[in-house]
Amino acid sequence: MTSLMTGAIVNAIALGILYGLLGLSLTIVYGAMRIANLAHGEMVLAGSYVAYVVTTQLGYSPLAAIPVAFILLFLLAFALFAVAGRRLQAARDPEMASFLFFYGVSLMVASGLLFLFDADARSVIFQFQPLSYRVLGLVIPKARVVAVGVAMVLVPALFLFLYRTTSGKALRAAVMNRDALRIVGVDVERLSLVAFSVSAGIAGVTGVLLALVFPAFTPFSGLDYTITGFVVIVLGGLGSPLGALLGGMIFAFSEQLTTLWIGQSAGVLAGFLILVLVVAIRPAGLIGQAEWKS
Amino acid sequence: MNALAQIGPDSTLISFRNVYAAYFGDIHVLKNLTLSFRSGEVTGIIGPNGAGKSTVLKTLLGFLKPSAGDIVFDGRSLLGTPSHDMVHVGVGYVPQNSSLFLDLSVEDNLILGCWPVRRDGARVRRAIDRVLGDFPMLAPFRHGRAGELSGGQRRFLEIARALLIEPKALLFDEPTAMIAPKYASEVYDHIARLARQGIAVILVDQNVRPCIQVSDYVYILELGQKTMEGDADAFRSDERIRAEIGRWLEVSGG
Repeated sequence: MTSLMTGAIVNAIALGILYGLLGLSLTIVYGAMRIANLAHGEMVLAGSYVAYVVTTQLGYSPLAAIPVAFILLFLLAFALFAVAGRRLQAARDPEMASFLFFYGVSLMVASGLLFLFDADARSVIFQFQPLSYRVLGLVIPKARVVAVGVAMVLVPALFLFLYRTTSGKALRAAVMNRDALRIVGVDVERLSLVAFSVSAGIAGVTGVLLALVFPAFTPFSGLDYTITGFVVIVLGGLGSPLGALLGGMIFAFSEQLTTLWIGQSAGVLAGFLILVLVVAIRPAGLIGQAEWKS
Repeated sequence: MNALAQIGPDSTLISFRNVYAAYFGDIHVLKNLTLSFRSGEVTGIIGPNGAGKSTVLKTLLGFLKPSAGDIVFDGRSLLGTPSHDMVHVGVGYVPQNSSLFLDLSVEDNLILGCWPVRRDGARVRRAIDRVLGDFPMLAPFRHGRAGELSGGQRRFLEIARALLIEPKALLFDEPTAMIAPKYASEVYDHIARLARQGIAVILVDQNVRPCIQVSDYVYILELGQKTMEGDADAFRSDERIRAEIGRWLEVSGG
């Protein structure tokens, strides 16, 4: 195997787990509330800006930005949902109302970031010790190792929560049968509030980790994250946590390998091509819910 | 106090008092409905299509708010109680359409059925073992996906799940619709047994004959109003009632 190939595979695994994390937080909200959070990418981006402030401006480690991003985004989402959540669910057409509402939120967050940080690209500047590792003839920046390391702790923790705790099971059950949750006694409104806030917190942390991997971001980078997030969860199967992880891996691998074989500009195209093919052949995604099939 | 109230001469657990309910504006689906449901009895609700039978259950469960009247459970009004609190109050519900989480395991469906007591792990395990003992046909599938069960097994899983937190009342909406006939009689047997255990069972059913067979008391609804009521014995024998049922069975094609 050439070192270029090894490099592409290492990159794909690193990005795959981060894309998976991006999809996981998005799929939790979709599952619990049946809404497409179009502002998800901006929540991720807000996390990247938290990392920028904590590291580049204040000089602390990016690890310190992780709890800050989680708490900040959690609280903002909590407030947002407390104000708008009930109204949206009570709207005549909740899906359309949420769609427009979150589109508005995404524009609002992007303009807020533009106001606070200007349109210039920003990056996380922090000197890790050592700066990089040399493995299998590859130079791997420590920032990337840290990001992937944190993701590799977070993803299993999320899976434990979703598959082993009663609240996690209720969240997964919401995508299967929302009405039945009420029958067994779950306060679905409250579940949605918690799901939305936790999802935003995770999105913020994902933003910190992505800022360590991607060189720079602007107030307009949010849309890319939203699109990546949706591609990942549609690919894997809406509402399926395992699908989100699988979708993230597939998207990252197709991106990296196509970049290696054909070129940078074809990288993203390959991911979308796979998406279109999967949706055409298996509309429910790779790990779709039974309800979608029947 | 509650126990005394239940074993008193009148064991009424739930009463509808002059209830009106509407899905849209003032087009009332339930009109001035007064009903009572007793502990230890199966109360059947029958009637032609569109009589408002399922609406009685939905109103009782808080999915539909009455525009007038009151619904009283164990001495206190249920109005304003959110649907998800009904389980806590003691009202279980087995709806007509599947209420299972098909991609979760049978056990996980039961675990979610223990939602109100979820923090008490020992109680959850005891409750699940108890209902799996009562429904032995489910035990072999404990770790399999609920979606892999047959129609009849799914219905039993829903009944088992509703029994986990020992409801005082259990509401059934067309429990044997869409399941194989060999399971139907078993479902009715279970319903009768639940009443013998002291539960107030409310049974809404299109299948008039088995419904009257298993019921202790029967209401007939037509266009949201009560047109007849009485002990099920009378319904089984009374020619006039049989003729009446025959008439609207023809109308509804039931």
